[in-house]
Order: sequence, then structure tokens, then C-alpha cells
Amino acid sequence: MATAPQMPTTHPRWARSPFYFNSASHLLRISREKATNLQELVDALRTCGESSIFQHTFQTLEEHHFINKGFSNDFSHWAFAACNEVELAERLSAIDIREFTSIATLRERLVHIIETYLQKNPRAATRVAMEPFYLMASDLVVVPTPYVARNLEEFAEGIRRVSVHAIYYHFIDARLRLKLNNNDFSVWLELEMDMAQAADRLNRIDIYTSSLEGVRRNILKVVEAEIVRT
Amino acid sequence: MKEKNPERKTASETSKSQVRDQQDPAAKTSAAVDDPVVQESVSAPAPPGGKERRFRQTDLPEHFIERRRHPRISTEQPPPPAPPRLDDYAAIIGKPELDEIRFLARHLRGKTVKMVNSTAVGGGVAEILNRLIPLMNELEIPTRWDVITGGNDFYEVTKGFHNALHGGEYNLTQQIKDIFMSYNEQNRQRMEFADDLFVIHDPQPAGLVRSKSQTRGRWIWRCHIDLSNPHPGVWDFLKPMIEQYDASIFSAPAFTRQLNVPQYLFYPSIDPLSEKNKDLPEEFVNKVCDDFGIDRSRPVITQISRFDRLKDPVGVIEAYKLVKKYVDCQLVLAGGGATDDPEGAVVLQEVMDAAGDDPDVIILNLPPWSALEINALQRASTVIVQKSLKEGFGLTVTEGLWKEKPVVAGAVGGIPTQIIHKLTGVLVHSVEGCAYQIRYLLTHPEFAAQVGKNGREHAKENFLITVNLKRWLLLFQILLGMARPNETI
Repeated sequence: MATAPQMPTTHPRWARSPFYFNSASHLLRISREKATNLQELVDALRTCGESSIFQHTFQTLEEHHFINKGFSNDFSHWAFAACNEVELAERLSAIDIREFTSIATLRERLVHIIETYLQKNPRAATRVAMEPFYLMASDLVVVPTPYVARNLEEFAEGIRRVSVHAIYYHFIDARLRLKLNNNDFSVWLELEMDMAQAADRLNRIDIYTSSLEGVRRNILKVVEAEIVRT
Repeated sequence: MKEKNPERKTASETSKSQVRDQQDPAAKTSAAVDDPVVQESVSAPAPPGGKERRFRQTDLPEHFIERRRHPRISTEQPPPPAPPRLDDYAAIIGKPELDEIRFLARHLRGKTVKMVNSTAVGGGVAEILNRLIPLMNELEIPTRWDVITGGNDFYEVTKGFHNALHGGEYNLTQQIKDIFMSYNEQNRQRMEFADDLFVIHDPQPAGLVRSKSQTRGRWIWRCHIDLSNPHPGVWDFLKPMIEQYDASIFSAPAFTRQLNVPQYLFYPSIDPLSEKNKDLPEEFVNKVCDDFGIDRSRPVITQISRFDRLKDPVGVIEAYKLVKKYVDCQLVLAGGGATDDPEGAVVLQEVMDAAGDDPDVIILNLPPWSALEINALQRASTVIVQKSLKEGFGLTVTEGLWKEKPVVAGAVGGIPTQIIHKLTGVLVHSVEGCAYQIRYLLTHPEFAAQVGKNGREHAKENFLITVNLKRWLLLFQILLGMARPNETI
């Protein structure tokens, strides 16, 4: 979110600062690490760059934004589809990236889950997967959009008009930037519009049981209800 | 959509008198009697492979049998349509996406790009460049396309390299290396290198990078082939050249080698506005089905591929036969390569033998200009199968996904990148698995529809030419230092 000029505060529906909608484009880089079994995956997870962890957990949600069930992160999908380790896949898919505000803690959690599983199922460690896992990394470039919101109506209009990549950038990717269990939209509603309850409702929208278009619709529901209320 | 010319001529390998002799006037459909085009066509067609298949007695209406015996296949290549403009894509990808592309391009305005490959016509790379370059120029990024030249000895060497890089045996001699380098050097001397960005496609012109030290531009090597199992000698010869580039691009993570230059992933892409992928009026789809004797009242399973054993067309027939025990359906195997490729003709005969006298197996050996017909066949399909045993990226899979069809495909090459099992399609490893998944999709239309819907979104998000264009713009910005990852441009 860019720094904004001060706006009039006399009218309760004007934001103190406008919300600038951005979007993000990303480019995939192929990393050196590759895993042909779960032990190799753990080893790779310990040493790979943070952008690889980001790619296979955060970024993959954007790439598969249209799937509203059955997809959580690439590690879980690989454990299920290529390693046939259903229990591990379930455990990995239960990771909710919204709980993480740093890649380091997310990396620790991933390693811990797989190591714990392999301690109980040692033979799974070296069983060769049907397909190797290639670690990728993501270079994200932030792209401004023409949409700016100074009040709730303009905010709703921006939500309607921006691409799903912008929704992803502000709603999901924001957590790592803010280092908070929060998102850009909620922060703006709370700090610039004094709408803490709406901000909280918005932050509780489930990204794992809905597509990003579904997330957009749910955000709009919250914002439109607030427009009616105020 | 420009309607296909209904007067287009049809094949005429069989003489009119022969066909007249074969025809039973009483069996002619009313359409065949009334429609002069049909009358012309029944005099013309040749069965695939040149040998007529005999169909067993069936309840299928005679006009379907007649069309299957003598499909109406066009024999004239239509003129190519004008390339689309960027605005034409707005209806497909949406205005915000198009705005992002324009925004990314704005910073690159005036930067010049030179693309170099080894052929101006034919082949996937030329097809991609023909569509990508007009879009870059429209975005005011002047992009030129140069083609290297060489004698027969050079092309023999590069063909040998191509096969060797795919894992084939090869006897790499010093003479072969000299031929490769001398033609690269000739081209290097002939070409001008004054641009901001140089994109060199595939190994053939890789040696042009020797000019890098004399230029201010950034050099990118775009590899379209699978390097997962290359001939070690050939790769060792090429690798020092590749490592002089500023960046390399591969089509799938599995296709890469360890290199000390950054490797980017650019999936191959399809153009949603091309003849093969654009929306078609339902009447046209019906007409094509009618031309080929496809009964749209029953499920249609389709595989589009060359007649090549690696595409496993016989395996697809075996899977169809297992499905047919439970579900009344038809199988369409459509492709080319059997006319100009002796091995293709052999495979086509194997396919016909495997199909036997089953009238519901429709085999179409189509000419290279059949993009509209292939598009229509895919759109008329209930399930699309691409049961390859070995595959590059598999753009026919992408085409099926884009048409919102449930796709059943072999888990090889780049296909698992496109098909997330049971989410964007179904992956299979055997004839039996293929048959079961087809049956499941045919009997669970809601699941099939959801998979098709997800597949289209997956293609839209990752495998369209507009996404590819955006990747190029991002890479150019990063290499020219205009954009830094995780920062606003």
C-alpha cells in the first residue's frame, strides 16, 4: 500500500488516507533442489531459499486460485499424488499460511511435520516418488493499478474491478509484508476508516474453502453490508 | 468467427467412377441427394491409410456409416487469418490483466529485442514467434526476428544434436563440432547485434553468444526441448556456450540441467484466438461432426495426435473397448503425419487393424491445415484423451483444458504440470486406468464439468499467450534492472 496524501476527515465516510490497489506479477525460477523421496524433500526444505518456500505455499494458492477445495500447497499435493502418503498429505494440507508472518517459521513447521511423520514411518523416507518434486522460486514484481479508494463505495468498486492477482496481493501475500496475521484491506478499514469489526470479519474469510473469486465475493459482501449500515 | 468456406474442395484420391460404382442409390441420405457439396464430396474422399475399413452390421444410420467410410476432409489450405491485436484478448483475460500487461510494457517502450531461431516456417518455435512478435511490436517494444542460415551439413548436424539431446545415440566428432561452430560464426558475422535484448532459441544458434562481449544487451537462451537425458558429449560441447548467457528459459522443471546461469520457467502457451482454439459457432461444430460422421447424440471420446506409437493410439482403442462394455460411445482418433511420414502410415494401419470393424471408432488422417476442424472435434468431445507414453509439454492437453473439457492424459513429460489429478483433469498410467477414468467421467457429468471448468481456469492462468507475453515483459525488466523482485515498479 503506497503512502497517501491526507484526505479530509470531517465526513465519517472519507478515509484518512486512500487505499491504492496494486497487483503482483510473478516469474518462476527453477531452483537447483530436487527431491525424489520424502527424505530428500526434508533436506531440500532445510536449505532452499525462502522464495522457494513462498512459491510452494503462498504463491501456489494464487496459481490455483480457481480451485475451491482439495488444494492447499504443493508439498501436500506431492505427498498425496506422487508419494501416496495420504496421512502426511492431510497434515501438510492443514497448514494455514495465514498463521505465518515469516517464511522461517513456516519452513520450520513444514520440516517438523515431515520429520515427525518419517519417524513414525521410516520406510516412507526413501521410497521413490512417482514424480520428482522440483523446487521453484518466485520473483514477484508489484504493479500499480489505476484504482484508488477514498471511501467505502470506491473501495467496493476497486474490489470489483481489480484482477484476482490484486486480491491475492493484498489479501494473502500481505501477511508476509505486514508481518501480521492480517491483510491490507483489513488494515485500511481499521486504521483509515475506523471500521474494526468489518476489518475483523474480512480477515476471517476462509481462503482454503473458496476460490479467489469467491474471496472477492465474500469481501464485497462485508464491504457492501458496511456501506448499507453506515 | 469467419465461417469455413462450404465450397472448399474435398479429397479425391478415389475416382468418381469408382465411388459411383460403390454407391447404393437407395442408401443415399436425403442430404446427400439434395446437397451439391455432399454430392461432390461422396465422390472424393479417401479412407485413412488408403485402405477402406469394413464396418460390421449396426443399427447406426447409414449416413453416419457413409461419412465414416468417406469423411469429408478439406484438401486446400485456407489463407492464414490476420494476427490478433492485444485488445482482442480483453474479452478473454479481462481488462485488469490487459492493463497489467500494458503497464509492464510501458517501461520497456523503445527497448529493442532480437529473436533468433533456425527456421521461419514450420515447427512450434516459428508458430510461437509469429504470434508473439506482433504483440511485442504493438506494445512499442521493437522486436525483430532473424533466422540463421546454413548448408545441408549444418542442418544434418543440428538434427543429430536434437536427437542426441533427447537421449539418442550420437557419434560426436571434431568435424561435427567444427561444422556447428563455423556456421554459427558465419551467421554471427552476418548479423548485427545492436539491440537491448537478444533471445536465442534452441541449440542451433547458441554459438551466437560469442558476440555478447561486443554488445551492451542482455542475452537469453530459450530452450524449447527436453534436456533431462541428453547425450553427455553433445551437452558438454554446448554447455559452455549456454553458460555465457545472462539467463536461460525452459518449458518444464524436468527438462532442465544444472547450469550456473538463472533458469526461468516459461510454460509453452496456446493462443486462444488462433484457428485451433478460438470459439466456434455450434453450427460449425455440427457441420464438422456431420462431415466426419460423428453422432452428437452419444458421448464422443477424442484423441488428437499424430499417428505415432508414443501417443499410444492403439492403447486408446483398447481403453475405448473396455469403456464400450458399459457406455455406448464413439472414439475419434484424429491427427496427421501418416501421409508424409512412412512410420506414420505404418502406425495408422496398426490403428485401423486395432479398430477392426467397429463403426464407432472414427479414424481421421487430417492435413496440416485442419486447425478449425480439430478445434471443432475437441469442442464436440465429451472426454478428451491424450494417452501419451512419452511427451514434450503436450499442448494438445492444453487445448483440451482451454475448451473446458475433462481431459484424461498419460502422466508423462509436461502433462502433470497441466493436469492436477482429479482437479484439472485426470492422470493415468495404463490402459485399464484410462478406461476406468473415461467411464467415471462419462457417468459422473457433474464431476466432469467441474474438472473441465478448473482445467480451463488453469490454462487461462498459466498457458495462454498473454501469460507468456507477461513473463517476457517481466524477464526483460528484471534483466535490464528496471524491476527488482518484491518491489513496486
